[in-house]
Amino acid sequence: MPQPLPSKEQTLFRSVVKYYEGKQYKKGLKAADQILKKHPTHGDTQAMKALILNSQGHGEEAFTLCKAALKNDMKSHICWHVYGLLWRSVKNYEEAIKAYKFALRIEPGSLNILRDLALLQCQIRDYDGYIESRRKMMQERPQLRQNWTALAVAFHLAGNLTEAENILKTYEETLKQTPPKGDIEHSEAVLYKNTIIAESGDTERALKHLDEIIKSNLDRTSALELRAKYLLDLGRNEEAEQAYRNLLERNSEYRAYFDGLERALGLSRDNKADVEKLAELYQSYAKENSRNDATRRVPLDFLSGDAFKAAADSYLRWKLNKGVPSTFANIKSLYADAEKKAIIEELVLGYESEKKANGSAKEETNGDKSDRFEQSVLYFLAQHYNYVLSRDLKKANEYIDRLIKLDPKSVDYHQTKARIQKHTGDIQKAAETINHARELDERDRYINTKCAKYQLRANENEKALATMSKFTRNEAVGGPLGDLHDMQCMWYLIEDGEAYARQQKYGLALKRFTAIADIFDVWHEDQFDFHSFSLRKGQIRAYIDMIRWEDHLRNHPFFTRAAINAVKIYLKLADDPKLANPDQLDLSKLDPTERKKAEKKAKKERERKEKEEADRKAAAAAKATAKADDEDKKKEDTDPNGEKLLQTKEPLEAAQRFLKPMLEHSTQIVQAQNVGFEVYLRSQRYLLALKCLQAARELDLENPMAHEQSVRLRQALSKVSELPAEVSQVVKDTFTTPAADADLTAYNNEFIKKHSESARHLQAAYTARYALDNSTKSQNETDLIKTLDLSTITFEQAEQGLALLSEWKSEEKVQDEYRSKAASRWSEANVFIK
Amino acid sequence: MDIRLLRPSDIPHVQLANITNLPENYFCKYYLYHAMSWPQLSYVAVDVSRPPKTPYDPPKIVGYVLAKMEEEPTDGIPHGHITSLSVMRTHRRLGLAEKLMRQSQRAMAETFDAKYVSLHVRMSNIAALNLYKETLGFSVDKVEAKYYADGEDAYSMRMDLTNIPRDFTEDGDASEGKDEGEAVGSEKLQKVAIGRQRGVADLVEVVEKKEVAA
Repeated sequence: MPQPLPSKEQTLFRSVVKYYEGKQYKKGLKAADQILKKHPTHGDTQAMKALILNSQGHGEEAFTLCKAALKNDMKSHICWHVYGLLWRSVKNYEEAIKAYKFALRIEPGSLNILRDLALLQCQIRDYDGYIESRRKMMQERPQLRQNWTALAVAFHLAGNLTEAENILKTYEETLKQTPPKGDIEHSEAVLYKNTIIAESGDTERALKHLDEIIKSNLDRTSALELRAKYLLDLGRNEEAEQAYRNLLERNSEYRAYFDGLERALGLSRDNKADVEKLAELYQSYAKENSRNDATRRVPLDFLSGDAFKAAADSYLRWKLNKGVPSTFANIKSLYADAEKKAIIEELVLGYESEKKANGSAKEETNGDKSDRFEQSVLYFLAQHYNYVLSRDLKKANEYIDRLIKLDPKSVDYHQTKARIQKHTGDIQKAAETINHARELDERDRYINTKCAKYQLRANENEKALATMSKFTRNEAVGGPLGDLHDMQCMWYLIEDGEAYARQQKYGLALKRFTAIADIFDVWHEDQFDFHSFSLRKGQIRAYIDMIRWEDHLRNHPFFTRAAINAVKIYLKLADDPKLANPDQLDLSKLDPTERKKAEKKAKKERERKEKEEADRKAAAAAKATAKADDEDKKKEDTDPNGEKLLQTKEPLEAAQRFLKPMLEHSTQIVQAQNVGFEVYLRSQRYLLALKCLQAARELDLENPMAHEQSVRLRQALSKVSELPAEVSQVVKDTFTTPAADADLTAYNNEFIKKHSESARHLQAAYTARYALDNSTKSQNETDLIKTLDLSTITFEQAEQGLALLSEWKSEEKVQDEYRSKAASRWSEANVFIK
Repeated sequence: MDIRLLRPSDIPHVQLANITNLPENYFCKYYLYHAMSWPQLSYVAVDVSRPPKTPYDPPKIVGYVLAKMEEEPTDGIPHGHITSLSVMRTHRRLGLAEKLMRQSQRAMAETFDAKYVSLHVRMSNIAALNLYKETLGFSVDKVEAKYYADGEDAYSMRMDLTNIPRDFTEDGDASEGKDEGEAVGSEKLQKVAIGRQRGVADLVEVVEKKEVAA
């Protein structure tokens, strides 16, 4: 029932709304309470009060009050609207949409409610609903251009290009005169329409339309790029050539333009005759611009033999003479071609001896410049021998030491020295060296960042944070770490988490990986405001780009890396729930008296920490009340060490938050499939496990993990007494390797034979062998130690092997043997030192 | 190194480059705010020579310029502003900063009819000052005392953009005369949460106003 208020209270109510909109929450509450004093069951007022309470961070209270409001006034669109807003604020979009729809049933023409509904529909990609809402909004206010554009966007996102174009066209036809030239909204709208025409595949018409609007269009770069592309797609090569040449006039450091030009000229890099013409083409551009990089660097990609050598020679001399520090980074991709790698090495070694031959005679005349060249050459060689495809760490070290002698204060040289040390496995020393580099230029955040990263690699979490704190905003809630979270410093959070994981501090590790997932949630949420903002700004093409990016946001390597790590920890938890209480972990190994001591110490430590925590909280609370205001307060983190995360009762369920996005968006990442299998096998969801297994094999037929998993899946299935008929049918049809009746040991032995030179494969096979028969343990240990003799085994793989021993719970003695053998091969590596 | 327009999907790595190099940092939404408001103005330098490791490899961003138009210019003259500019230490001496700036400046003039572009720079940042003054042609407009959190003063610099042709098409048309500035975005202020308040910064403006978006 509508609940009419006397006129005085009506005025008050309007002021409540106004205060809310102006974020004057205290005043709003006061006014609301004034009404409620006289009319305690006035639903609308209660709802408004709830809304204000919610904005002040009192979510629960708000929900209770709003529910009461609804009880008092089921037929109020305000109550329903507020109810929807509350749900929206806790990100329960389905409930919010339901509530908005109730509100709309009562007040069908309300633009406010329609808008809120539409925004949510767009956010959850309910495009049919979005179209409907946008159509209603357009009909309510057809004079507003953005309502038309919005409807077109809705159709466009839903894939209905014809209707999208139609809507834009219909609006354009209502324009009595062409908007002024500076009207960016118009300029963008017509270009948006043009991209819709092009997307529909009718390039001919897109070009025709573009030619009509191009003269006055304000986004010159986009318009010219589109035109060049259309011409090329239509095979109008001469015009396309001209178009790309025009674009290159504007920006000659963009390979896409050169690619377009090459194609317009009908030149192919695979065709020998064309290569010469291509070289000439690039040369002609290079002549025009002495500072241009692309025209000189691109030909190195397609030239070969002597032509390559000559071009590489002049390119390298040019860069090295200028002392460009990124020269090596800029050419190392050529090393994939062994011939080019050899030529480059020969050239640069030649420069080195050239320099030696010339000796000190000329130093007087061009001292600075030749010094620079010499150092650049040595620096290049240091990096060359440090690079994985041309690695010779001893040589790399010699070069970098010579450089450091020449310039003991060089940040770059010390940084490279640290990198070389990192590659030898001496992570500790690398961290020290780079810290020295950092001290050489304390105002440079770049070297500071790298220093923190190396410290994390050396598992020095606290030191790394102290390093980071030199540039963070330390007064932020949570200090430096809080600031790094606020600023979404993903690289740090991931490295920090990985360092904790290496130290088996799984709570903290999970905490960091969860923070990464949280940031991705924030990034996803970030788009929300732009559903309306972009319409006001009129920059629709950029908005569509953003929507499409958001749709696959979580295929970003940052997410995948954190997610694989997190899932692995959840798997460990599923296998060994004791890990959730790390304090008790080591105690089982100790003798009774020692254990008592340790327990006592742990208890004291716990109490101390609890007290500290309580004190800190009390102080924070005092501070908070001291400046209690309407600003949204930052929530206190009740689980800073991730202990609660660790104590989850259902680790496999918790893992889904990380696993699902990977299996949906990062289907090409084999490790994602690998961990997916492990989760589903443990959950006894065999079909899903099988799906991951098959996917992994599709990506990499000989994937070691997939092999091991195929054995274990077969083993698991043989132990299951009964599967549902459909499941067992699918298994029968699709799971054929190994065959259902295969001798798994023989199957595994065959794999060992086939991959007798690959440490990764052997490690997997031994794990499988162990899983099949745990009496093979010592055999596996012996064989695993033998893998250290393989010529191809890398340092990282050896590290993996060590981890396996601890998974098998091998005795100290065995692990020591492995370590000492590994240490003799990687003498600098820290991980093999006990 | 490609120089090209910033796309939304570049943002994570622009953010990474920023927080790796500079003390003045922003969260994703602030980058989005630039990219959604003036998508023509921000540019990135991308190392395209790296062979991809996975199909999801993000672009390797080694430099960027994050730029905007002043929303409500106090002098009433439409002008651009450089929010942040940075190039990785490993990729210096390639002229990337200059190339990025030139692209951005032209777009300011062409698309938004900016008459000039402004920026702030730390007085002690000789390298940046040099770039702006000598290479690009900025001049010091005024000194802003204690602009940075650590108390350092900033030069407020600007550069005239009126000489950039506004309207050349492929036929080389001359410009036709100018209109008033933006036609949209004049609605009431709506709060868009943005980057942190005042901080220490190289080549970075301080975000003063809390409410920025129209």
